[in-house]
Amino acid sequence: MKNILSISLLLLLSTAAFGATFLDSVKRMKWGNLDVVWIEDSKFPRFNAAIYFQDGSLSDPFSGLTSGTFDQIASGTSKESQREISEFFDFYGVNLKNSVTHEYSVYTVQGLTKDIGPVMSKVCELFNDAQYPQKELFSYISRSKSQLKNLVTSHSSLADRIFRQISLIETPYAIPVEGTLATFDKLNPNGLKERLSELNHSKKVLYLTGPSEIFKLKEIIANKCKWTTGSVSEKLVLKKPSPQSAIFLVPVQGANQAQIRIGRYVIPDEIKGKYDHFSFLAGFLGGGFTSKLVQELRVKRGLTYSAGAYVSMQRDYGRAGIMTFSKNESAAEVISLVRDIFQDISAKKITPEEFKHQQGHQIGGFAFGFEETNAFLSQIMLYDHQGRNLQELVNFPDNIASLTPEALSQTNLEAFPWDRMTIVVVGDKSLEKSLSRIRPVRILKYKDYL
Amino acid sequence: MKFWLALFALLMGCSSVKENKTLSSNIHIDVEELKLDNGLTALIVSNPKLPIFSLQLFYKVGGKNEVPGITGASHFLEHMMFKGAKKYGSNTMDFIIEGSGGSTNAYTTNDQTVYYENLPSTELEKIIDIESDRMENLLLDLEAFNKEREVVLEERKMRYENSPRGQLYLEMMQTLYKGTPYGRSVIGDIPDLKSVTREQIYKYFKRFYAPNNATLVLVGDIDVYKAKAMIQEKFGKIPSSPSVEEAHKELKDEDFVPKWKVDQTVAKKGESPNPIFMLAFPTYKAGHIKGYALDVLSSIIGSGKSASLVNQYILIEKPIATSMYSAHQSLDKSGFFFIGGELVRGVKLPEFRQDLLKNLNGFCDSEVSERSIQKVKNNYLTGLYGGLDTNAGLGSFLGERQIVFNDWRFYKQELDMYEKVTVNDVKALCKETFVKPSVFVSVWNMHK
Repeated sequence: MKNILSISLLLLLSTAAFGATFLDSVKRMKWGNLDVVWIEDSKFPRFNAAIYFQDGSLSDPFSGLTSGTFDQIASGTSKESQREISEFFDFYGVNLKNSVTHEYSVYTVQGLTKDIGPVMSKVCELFNDAQYPQKELFSYISRSKSQLKNLVTSHSSLADRIFRQISLIETPYAIPVEGTLATFDKLNPNGLKERLSELNHSKKVLYLTGPSEIFKLKEIIANKCKWTTGSVSEKLVLKKPSPQSAIFLVPVQGANQAQIRIGRYVIPDEIKGKYDHFSFLAGFLGGGFTSKLVQELRVKRGLTYSAGAYVSMQRDYGRAGIMTFSKNESAAEVISLVRDIFQDISAKKITPEEFKHQQGHQIGGFAFGFEETNAFLSQIMLYDHQGRNLQELVNFPDNIASLTPEALSQTNLEAFPWDRMTIVVVGDKSLEKSLSRIRPVRILKYKDYL
Repeated sequence: MKFWLALFALLMGCSSVKENKTLSSNIHIDVEELKLDNGLTALIVSNPKLPIFSLQLFYKVGGKNEVPGITGASHFLEHMMFKGAKKYGSNTMDFIIEGSGGSTNAYTTNDQTVYYENLPSTELEKIIDIESDRMENLLLDLEAFNKEREVVLEERKMRYENSPRGQLYLEMMQTLYKGTPYGRSVIGDIPDLKSVTREQIYKYFKRFYAPNNATLVLVGDIDVYKAKAMIQEKFGKIPSSPSVEEAHKELKDEDFVPKWKVDQTVAKKGESPNPIFMLAFPTYKAGHIKGYALDVLSSIIGSGKSASLVNQYILIEKPIATSMYSAHQSLDKSGFFFIGGELVRGVKLPEFRQDLLKNLNGFCDSEVSERSIQKVKNNYLTGLYGGLDTNAGLGSFLGERQIVFNDWRFYKQELDMYEKVTVNDVKALCKETFVKPSVFVSVWNMHK
């Protein structure tokens, strides 16, 4: 115990120093009217350019439009075919990725620094001249629908998809970002081009890592991308989630395990000024082998292979939850145990040892967030999106060190009120009987959520 | 900022990259090597960028070292190694590691088992003490053993019985390597997992988990001199065992390679509405010169959006597949080239198999060119940079080579071999491989 405390204090002193140093390495610039954030990284001759658009799937008139716009942006321009474009990027060893969330989208380009000129010029061409040819689009729609119909092969992914739709049903965040079987057919070249045009004019920020040669991008972006940047998107105000009275059981054929999701959505007012409290709680519950859930469910009882907890926020909403799985016959026991764990923490049944242990874990682990420059940059992007000051990142170890067990209990009470928790179980139909001892069971057909 | 520039410069000194040279001269890694009298090899790389480090302990023992009745022993031990040893008793190791801010885990393959930790640099002595304690004095407490048996059975269900993709891979390995040590399940057969005793696992542990069968790798903010002294002090006293090779001296290299002579086709019923498949061809063991041309071939036909299989089966008006991939897998004693994917409903599997085999042979002439080989090399370089970006990534890179080739420097030869791969090499290997008898396995809910 004394040992853990002294380690924590030692780590606190060193982490405070390098946290501040890393913050100094974040350079913010204006290239014309485009905001640019750069972290120098000269370890290898490569670059990472992440274009943040403050525009996500909430703007979609139907599910999957923004995702389709990015997924198919390289399917053809007025000058080049999909095959020629793919060949170009693959030849240079370029990695292109896109990530669409409800509130924002990110298009990422990673490649070798020596190729930055031709590569980024080509990226600009895509944003200016993507044509979304019908033939390639038809193929994309066909593949997307086929893959979605096969989602049942991953019970975990199926549980995640249905849990979002059920737990956020009162909000626009319930709609799947990636599209549904009913909406893929609505995609058409004109709609995608219009959506791309909106994205080209939305508020955007360019996040960069790499050596100083990356400044070659300034001219390319100005002359070839011709992006304008719009104003900050309007905030969405949600009400708190309603009380829940049922367990949602999703039967799938041949399931010999039950996937369990328990959680709810969070509104910014609940978490404002207390991000670190919620982060600490998530780690205490489900961060690592020594977390409360893993110890109680796996180590003490052998009921599961893994259990995790999360509290994650975008700008106008967030989610708090638990994810685990068990044998079919243990599913009800696992859910009851999770409920008991919540109640115990809220009732301040936390030992000083486990509390200090978690403090040591989170303070000592702080440095790992800076090891990969790209991961650090992603963290900065999220802070910017949430409108948080980066100084909060530096203060994290201090904030964790000053937390008390009482604050943890209070945070748990606020984050996981049992009567507001949505519970979704994907598993065998026979689970209905055992689950009904916890709450009334509502049976859902998984196909209704594809 | 000056502070960090200085650190970056230091880092560049130990793991640096220069452009416009051969691949192998691009990467220079300063490795301090230590060989103990009991056979333990230790590799140490100093990287003071952040006050953290990664430790990886590679054991040259995995699924292929097991025998019927104790399949899954290496993986079961992977779980039990976290359950306590003589000094660091029951359920304490995880608490020490995570309580200081670290993380830990392990993985088991056919050929090796690797335990790893990422920790703040203040914890170096402690973790070396923990690793040496569990190598020398693992408890294997019976109550914990029986509880963990249930966890392993749940893990197996998650990875195989409940996962059509897991079923596909397992079936492919069991068919391809039927009757050889590679044909056994790494996680273990269910009857064995249910019946294996604590004594059987303990005997297996004592036989193989010894310093002469292990490589310890440290990368990060480490005082090399002190680290060497700690390793000598903690591991130096542990006795060696007969080597892994001696344990299997009755087995010859040919006992590990596929034995069947005609095409094998397996249709397995599983809960996948779309058929998923793997097609595999036997090739060469790790380090064989032909393996590098096969690696290049697998990238040409299966990696990236411009890959041959993608253009042939996915990016067409009426897609036949929603995903396609290929890879060349090198094992310690064997190797195989495989193609896999998910097909759309309505595709007839026998016809698809025939069409795929025909196209693979056609690719040998139509797809292999100077440009396609250069493309693979460019991608290899960007992938290599990504892999070496973290302490753990660099540690894994070095440890893999030390444990498989008995020399971490082997990466230079590997890079040279990739550099020397020619159009003719790839074409020749393509033609040699795709006319061999193959294994075709599919999983689908329409199979009987």
